[in-house]
Amino acid sequence: MSDIPGPIGDDELMAYVDGRLPTQRAEAVGSYLAAHPEIRERLSRYAEQRQALRAAFGERADGPIPRRLRLTRLIAERRQRRRRRFAEIAAAILLVALGGVGGWTARDLLFPLASLASAPAVGTIMADALAAHRTFAVEVRHPVEVDAAQEAHLVQWLSKRLGRPLVVPDLSATGYRLMGGRLLPAGSGAAAQLMYENGAGDRLTVYVRPGVAGEASLYQHDKDVGAFYRADEGLGCVIVGDTERGALSRVAERVYEQTFPGIPKHDLAPQREKNG
Amino acid sequence: MPDHPAAQIEAHIPGLRRFARQLLRGDPERADDLVQDTLERALSRWHLRRNDGDMHGWLYTILYHRFLTDLHREKRRNAHHRSTDVAVDGPEVEGQQEAALIHRDLLRAFAELPEEQRSVLFLVTVEDLSYGEAARVLGVPIGTVMSRLSRGREKLRRYLSGERQPVKAQLGKVK
Repeated sequence: MSDIPGPIGDDELMAYVDGRLPTQRAEAVGSYLAAHPEIRERLSRYAEQRQALRAAFGERADGPIPRRLRLTRLIAERRQRRRRRFAEIAAAILLVALGGVGGWTARDLLFPLASLASAPAVGTIMADALAAHRTFAVEVRHPVEVDAAQEAHLVQWLSKRLGRPLVVPDLSATGYRLMGGRLLPAGSGAAAQLMYENGAGDRLTVYVRPGVAGEASLYQHDKDVGAFYRADEGLGCVIVGDTERGALSRVAERVYEQTFPGIPKHDLAPQREKNG
Repeated sequence: MPDHPAAQIEAHIPGLRRFARQLLRGDPERADDLVQDTLERALSRWHLRRNDGDMHGWLYTILYHRFLTDLHREKRRNAHHRSTDVAVDGPEVEGQQEAALIHRDLLRAFAELPEEQRSVLFLVTVEDLSYGEAARVLGVPIGTVMSRLSRGREKLRRYLSGERQPVKAQLGKVK
């Protein structure tokens, strides 16, 4: 009477529980089970287990990904290690080369080069960041392009457009929560703006621009807003807000820590002097 | 750079953390160590990965290898290794008491399973890997995956049908 093509094996029972059998075969197992209630009983326990395991593991909130597992950080550390190794080798070669030549000649030769390499358009970046802040921080309906609810998408999208992994700093320790971000034109490339808000409704923005040469650190106050600027690792980063300088500096520190994980902490305190 | 590793790996981190926590029951700190190790490894071998788009399986395989390596090293260190840490890293018992209790029993039973069976069950049911993918991650033939799956399920069923009442009764009668 049974027209089951071939006997039902244990593997197929497993695949039945996991919904991995082709329809035809699943039907065959179905009718086999109708005739074998004790096996059907066992399989329904398995199916319950399956559901419950998924629920139990799915239920526990994974929580935010800790900093040490952030890829941008791991990548930066790798790069740092490699750069250090390279610098050591280069320094060794240079020392050998300098052995023959007079020290001062080398100094004259090297200095102009060094200053040339560190000529970032700080002014432009600052101006762009401030303009972007003024334009969007006052927006009521469309402050951001992509909402914080889609943070993963935001990161992926902006990273792709910037051509390097974007870190979205977690500023919860300073009371600021991410609202979202947007993409902005910047010279021939692109920049990203992330917006944060605290419980009092104060907003601040983090402006990130890739392709910046050299290292620099700066604070600027312009009418109603203050801005901390930092360039390193090929990235320019500006924190803009109308909060008082001390508070903004604490925020900036958090941002730097997360954006430039390769830099020792004591080097990260934002600029305290300059045209306060 | 469309091929940037970060964008492709990022999405798998929550899954890797789940897998690691499952393997290192009740020690989330060590689990994250394992994930960090895995990510570092993945980055350094990025150019070696097979280009068939199976990022998921690739990362899980690296993680599992790391786990086994650490395990062997540990075993060698303390010759008579006995896994006593069957602490159940279950979800917080809050809210839906009934569901939580069942989950806790289940997770306790699950934690009692041998590692091989747990890993197969986890990959197949929670992470939805196909049998073939699970076999590749664990580095065993597909037949072994099937038999571990079957044995694990049966053990879990037995355990739960015998153990469920006492735990529930005990907690239920607390005044």
